[in-house]
Parts: sequence; C-alpha cells; structure tokens
Amino acid sequence: MGRWPETKRIEALDVLNELTAELPVVVTCAATSRELASVENRDNHFYVLDSMGLVGSITTGLALAAKDSDLPKVIGLEGDGSLLMNPNVLPTGGFLGAEKLFLILLDNQVYGSTAGLPTYSSRVDLGALAQAAGWTVGRAADESQLRGEFARLLTTTGPTLLHASIEAGNAADIPKLLVDPVVLAHRFQTWLTVRMGPHTAV
Amino acid sequence: MRKTVTTKSYTQAVADGIWGAGADLIGYIPSVTIAPVIEHLVTADGGTAGRAERVKPLSREEEAIGVLGALPLAGKFGAVIMQDNGFGNSLTALTTFSMSYHLPLLIFANTRGGPGEYNSMIHSISQPMPRILRTAGLQVLELDRRSSADDWEQTVAEAGVHARMTYRPVVVLGSFWSTDGKVA
Ligand SMILES: Cc1ncc(C[n+]2csc(CCOP(=O)(O)OP(=O)(O)O)c2C)c(N)n1
Ligand SMILES: [Mg+2]
Repeated sequence: MGRWPETKRIEALDVLNELTAELPVVVTCAATSRELASVENRDNHFYVLDSMGLVGSITTGLALAAKDSDLPKVIGLEGDGSLLMNPNVLPTGGFLGAEKLFLILLDNQVYGSTAGLPTYSSRVDLGALAQAAGWTVGRAADESQLRGEFARLLTTTGPTLLHASIEAGNAADIPKLLVDPVVLAHRFQTWLTVRMGPHTAV
Repeated sequence: MRKTVTTKSYTQAVADGIWGAGADLIGYIPSVTIAPVIEHLVTADGGTAGRAERVKPLSREEEAIGVLGALPLAGKFGAVIMQDNGFGNSLTALTTFSMSYHLPLLIFANTRGGPGEYNSMIHSISQPMPRILRTAGLQVLELDRRSSADDWEQTVAEAGVHARMTYRPVVVLGSFWSTDGKVA
C-alpha cells in the first residue's frame, strides 16, 4: 500500500480484512463488496449488494443490537458516494451515540463503481461532517495511518469514523457476487448471533 | 384467541401491540397521530422526551428500515413507527434490503389523506400507498374505526409474529379517523 492517492481500494481492503477477522463487517455495494470477497469471502462479512447508502444505517442497528455483547465494535465499510446518498447516518449516529458503531469510509472522491463520476467529497469533507455530528474521526492516507487509526478507533467508545483516502479506480477482473442474498444473510447471522450473548468470547 | 375487550385508547393499543409483537428495539419518525403511541412506548420503557433504552428517534424512514431491519441479523427483532407518506423514501430499502435478505420487520404507520384530512396534497401519496406497497410485494394489514382498540392491539402483535414466521416486513396501516385518536 503506497501513499495517498496511490492506495487502491483493493489494497485498503486487504489490510482491513486482516484487521477485522473477528469483527462483524457490513460491506457497501458494487465494487467494494466484490473486491473484498475476492480478497477473502468470510462468514463475518455481510455484503449489501444494492441498497446504496444503507450500510451506515444497518451498521448502526447492529451496533445498538450488540451493545451488551463482547464485540468491541460493529464495522461498516462505506463509500463516499454511498454515504452522500444517506448522510442521515452521521447525525443519527452522533445523536444516538451508539457505542459500538464504527464506519470506515473508503473515500476515492468518485462513484468508482459507476464510471468514476465525481462525488462531492473533493470539496466537502465527509470526516468534518461526521465530527460536527459528534463522531470521533480518524484519518488515514497510507497503510500505517490506516492501521494506527483503526486500532485507536476500535477502542474508542461511541460512534467512530475512519476516513480513508484511496485512489480512484477498480481492480481488474474481479468476479461478480452472484449469490442469493438470503444465503449471505443466513451465513452472517449464524456468525453474528453466537457472538451476541453477554460475556460470549469473541 | 380474542382477549376481553378493554377500554384502552387506540394509541395505547398500538403501543401495547408493538411490545406484544416482541420488539427488542423500536425506531420512530413522528407524526401528530402517532406521537401518543411514541409517548406510551417511551414511558413504558422508562424514558423521557421521546427517548428510551429501546425506543429511538430517527430522521428518515429509509434509515429506519436499515437500522431496525438489520436486527434479525443479530438475532433480534425491530419495529418502526411512522406515517404512511414516508414509504416513498423507504421503498428501495424495503425491497432491496428487508425483502431480498428475508429479514422480518414490523412497521406500524398511521394513514393520512383520507377522511378527517385537512392537508390538500398529502392524499397524493397516502391514497395509493396500500396499492404501491402491495405492488412491491409487501404484506399490508389495514385497520380503521370499524374494529376495536383491542382488535388493533392483537393485529399489531400478530403482525410481528407473522413477519417472523414469513421472514419479511409486515406493514400495519392504521386510520385513526373516528377513533379516539387524531388524524392530523
Ligand atoms: C439507488 C441507487 N442509485 C444508483 C446506484 C448505482 N451505483 C452503484 S455503486 C455506485 C457508486 C458508489 O460510489 P461509492 O459509494 O463512492 O463507492 P465506490 O464505488 O466509489 O467505491 C452507484 C452510483 C445504485 N446502486 N443504487
Ligand atoms: Mg467512491
């Protein structure tokens, strides 16, 4: 993983996959889900194949549900364009103060999955929006910052957002995720529910 | 089995039905009609000012589907309380998330745009809403003045059971006209 803006999405996902092996991970649609599944298609991944913008809300619900579990955080992997489609995630998360909410924003400043058209994020700082809404925000522009800020935010109580700057563009030759959503839901639910009880070892 | 007819209000009946449905967490987007429902829920859960441990204010119906609709993934069950004109901004979430992933969810929405309405345009979304929801494949149960508060409570509670039995969201639409509740 190089320095910003040379970090590709798939390189960031490779690092994040290593860091989140024991955490529930809700993954945004299109290239991000496909690329993460190509890195490793794991039971703790919940691929949101469409529902653009909903990852932050789903992660908020799961973070509230996991309040009394031993899970340190529930992770949402979101894109800049998707967060802009449902920016309510930020004020709602900040207001509710969900202790275990942790969003990782892979910000390439474009709708990378759909022809790379620009989002607002080259002019509108999504991390600053989160901060204004009461989130603890970390920023990462290279691998060591990503690892360092991930570790810090993982142990920070309350809604946390790791704003990661990545390069525009998609990895080549990534297969489509041709899986019935019911199968994806069942696999993730099976993984998550055994970790939900209080004092259940992660 | 029918319970004895009670004298509780329709809004209290809805609140009791939602707890009876087995909701672990409830999210709401307010309307004047369901404000008393929210108050009953918050009070019953030991909260104040529209907030309680298990009752959360949300800012948009779309996010409500994401937040509460996700709970079955964690082995829990959610409920949303809203007004029917908010379905327009939650249909994508309802279809591509709740329905596609077979996630049960209880939704109670008060209806607008019918008898007792003062607003001159809200019927343009509220009147076709039952048809829109059914066209999208959603299960819709409709309640109005013709059944008792007791029937409302049982219907709301059973809607939650039905959602879990059939692994999908179930919508209960309540028209408060000519009940002891407020339309708008
Ligand atoms: C409601 C809706 N509108 C449009 C799309 C098309 N679409 C799929 S992915 C995507 C871009 C996502 O951008 P971002 O969240 O920034 O992720 P990136 O691909 O850049 O990593 C769009 C517009 C969609 N899936 N749903
Ligand atoms: Mg993007």
